[in-house]
Amino acid sequence: MRTKQGLVVVVAAALALALPLGACAATAEDSPTAPQADLTTLRDEVIPATDPGRSPANANRRTDTFVSMILKPGGVFLPGFYENGWDGNAIVPIFASLVVRDESGQPKPDLAESWEISPDNLTYTYHLRDGLTFSDGSPLTADDVAFTLTLLNDPAYSGYIDFSDIVIAGTDEFRNGDAPGLSGITVIDPRTITITTERPNPLALTILGGPVISKAHYGKGYAKGKLDYLRDLYAKPLGAGPYQLDRFVEGQEVRYTANPHYYGGQPPIAHLIYKVLPSTDAALQNFQNGDIDQGGFGSDPAVIDELKELGYATINTRVIPDIGQIWVNNSNPALAPTQARQALNYGLDRQQIVDARFKGLGQVADTYAAPPLWSYTTEGVTRYDFDPDRAGQLLDELGWVRGADGIREKDGKKLTLSYITTKPDDPVIPIGEQNYTALGIDFVPEVLDSNTAFARFNSGDYDLAGFRTEGLADPDDAVREFGTNDPNINLSRYRNPEVTRLVAAGVGTFDEAERKKIYAELYQRLSEDPPTILLDYRKSISAYNARVEGADAFRTGGEDAAQALAKLKIRSS
Amino acid sequence: MIGYLTRRLATMLALLFGVSVLVFWLFALMPGDHFSGNRSLTPQRVAELRALYGLDQPVVVRYGIWLRNLFRGDLGYSLEYNRPVAEVLAPLLWNSFLVAFAAFVLTWLIALVTGVLAATRQYSWFDRLVTVALFASLSVPSFFLGLMMIKILAIDLQLFPAGGMLDTGSLTSGPARVVEIVHHLALPVAILTFLGAGSLTRYFRSGMLEVLRADFIRTARAKGLGERAVVFSHALRNALLPAITLLAFELPALFSGAIITEQIFNWPGVGRLQIESVQTRDYDVLMTLTMLLALLTVVGSFLADVLYAVADPRIRLVAKVRHG
Repeated sequence: MRTKQGLVVVVAAALALALPLGACAATAEDSPTAPQADLTTLRDEVIPATDPGRSPANANRRTDTFVSMILKPGGVFLPGFYENGWDGNAIVPIFASLVVRDESGQPKPDLAESWEISPDNLTYTYHLRDGLTFSDGSPLTADDVAFTLTLLNDPAYSGYIDFSDIVIAGTDEFRNGDAPGLSGITVIDPRTITITTERPNPLALTILGGPVISKAHYGKGYAKGKLDYLRDLYAKPLGAGPYQLDRFVEGQEVRYTANPHYYGGQPPIAHLIYKVLPSTDAALQNFQNGDIDQGGFGSDPAVIDELKELGYATINTRVIPDIGQIWVNNSNPALAPTQARQALNYGLDRQQIVDARFKGLGQVADTYAAPPLWSYTTEGVTRYDFDPDRAGQLLDELGWVRGADGIREKDGKKLTLSYITTKPDDPVIPIGEQNYTALGIDFVPEVLDSNTAFARFNSGDYDLAGFRTEGLADPDDAVREFGTNDPNINLSRYRNPEVTRLVAAGVGTFDEAERKKIYAELYQRLSEDPPTILLDYRKSISAYNARVEGADAFRTGGEDAAQALAKLKIRSS
Repeated sequence: MIGYLTRRLATMLALLFGVSVLVFWLFALMPGDHFSGNRSLTPQRVAELRALYGLDQPVVVRYGIWLRNLFRGDLGYSLEYNRPVAEVLAPLLWNSFLVAFAAFVLTWLIALVTGVLAATRQYSWFDRLVTVALFASLSVPSFFLGLMMIKILAIDLQLFPAGGMLDTGSLTSGPARVVEIVHHLALPVAILTFLGAGSLTRYFRSGMLEVLRADFIRTARAKGLGERAVVFSHALRNALLPAITLLAFELPALFSGAIITEQIFNWPGVGRLQIESVQTRDYDVLMTLTMLLALLTVVGSFLADVLYAVADPRIRLVAKVRHG
């Protein structure tokens, strides 16, 4: 669950580190004739190794160890309790879940071999595989699942897993009353568990079916409202994943050994190491001298060429399921009319921004879904190609007249828009400044540190704000905010009754075909009355040493990464 | 002397208290807290978390709690690492200290020897070489030099590791581990030494040049003392006096100086944590680190005064007259 976002955090951080090197140089260049945004230009791609024999000696020496990378694990190896997203990546090999999602967001069996969801989308029944055990050989049963969920709903639980959009039945009685447990959790037999929730949520299947921890190991000393004892166990994880923790060497690496009791059989590679690296630059250096077998290298196409030259690198470029956007404060009277937001969309050369930011590894976004998501479609969606004349016309119609200084005015007020960003080299700054000033808008960029920026953004103290979405696991993630009037969630203060209805309809059914239709219509409505300025989708680069077999199925931080790890093999050279 | 020390200690404590109030208050003024940047949480959950960690309390109350815990020896709890601050910081502080101390010793040794030699042989080829090296050391940025060294020595020639403190998957112990750590230390320490020795050599060189022209040196030479005795016992001792102050002020730098080098060489030190704790609003980590550096600065300046008084009789005399 969190791990999916963990991946995006990883990539976003990697990107943030990679960006300052190239982005400023590229922003000055004029974009070539803007290619049409086209789904076929942005898809996952594998570039096979041309000469695996050139693998460095350093790497070839490791015959029973696979080395991947991680940026900064903190050492809290307990699902639901770590705060640092990298710990989420570090525990993926250790803890198996009931259900995981694959890259496109589709659920996939892990410890549960099957599951049922009741027709009202509120009750979930999971059927566990036969003969499951934790890595110490102790049995894993439905009791452990029940214990895991109880812990995550404990009144003292202070982690990031959020049940407030799901709510297991009996949560209130458990948290605020005397109830010893959650009445909505029923263990039917050691291999079957039923969970009743109070709100339908398409993500509940994987949130409820997340990593399972051992009741015998973590439940010793548990009393409702007191979770401090767990701190002693953060460094001693016990799960049912393909690997078990061997050692965490602070600031250096996380070491694992194969779990002989893994339900899919003991993994062929005996040792796994996540080496701690500070940046994507360091990752490339370590990959070149053979210290790591696999790594993520940001979004700079120059890195692809460098990797190609090595010969032994199999290169993956993957589309990341998130969206870069400029949020627009719809409660600002100047931005409330649909035409004003349309004008902002037409008036910004988004292609140039995407080219500057991703140098060919990005695509202009037109839909409130990322290409890897199953709901993605541009059918019937209004596209806002760069058209300053049209933008000017729309502003004219709204009564914004150019003043003596070239800035538009209405009722004695100038059209001044601030733009919050966290990156000093954000290409929106120069390009937005050029485009919007030409349109007669006084565009004022503000570069802030991210917590300040988020604080301003969350409190509605902004006109325009550039942020990426979190990793989108479900289509609802990208549009949920437009379906409510709660200003804490709907940060753009966007109001459109038709959209509100469609957002609710999108999570009202779990039938994918039905949902697809609803979202297609929603995307059209959103494009006609755009709440924000959509900017980009992007790809990121990863590569692995061709001596490792099966590594293309492995995505660091992916929910199904553990299953891919369990199948890796090292080719004997 | 005792009265002087007591007064100094009292001032130091007051200063540290002032720093803690100021830092705590400034940090509280920054908009947002640890949870405000996490958009995956619902507002309801964010409010719950703030209440659980006491972030919804007024600043004064939070400061009081922090101070009370500090007096009990509790440095607080890291929200980002989900562990007690002391536990998070201890190994990193030690690692930072290791690099900084090695570089510190080498820097002083090299600067002292080259500075003295360059001064006694002013305008010789050695002096000219030192001047060129000085110029290079003062003008090359550490990240550039670091990346060059990694590219040439670690990747192309594979003589040194590209970063980290240990080999990947290393199982060494005892002397073999020491050798391994020294191997990893070599590049970062070399760069820090090269960069640090520059300014310090210049300092020693000009100090020595000045002293060598002084009257008492001429007197010593006139009395027929050997050149070696003149340079090393008379001149050097006097040239070193101001360096004592410099030495004591280096104390905080031992834990905070190598942020960029740590980043480039992936050295698991405290530098990165310092920056991160501001970005993630990890209050307790930031407070602990800031207070530690403030403490070292205050103690450093105190030591500088004391050492100076011990080394220079004239200062001791003044202190006696004033306070004794």
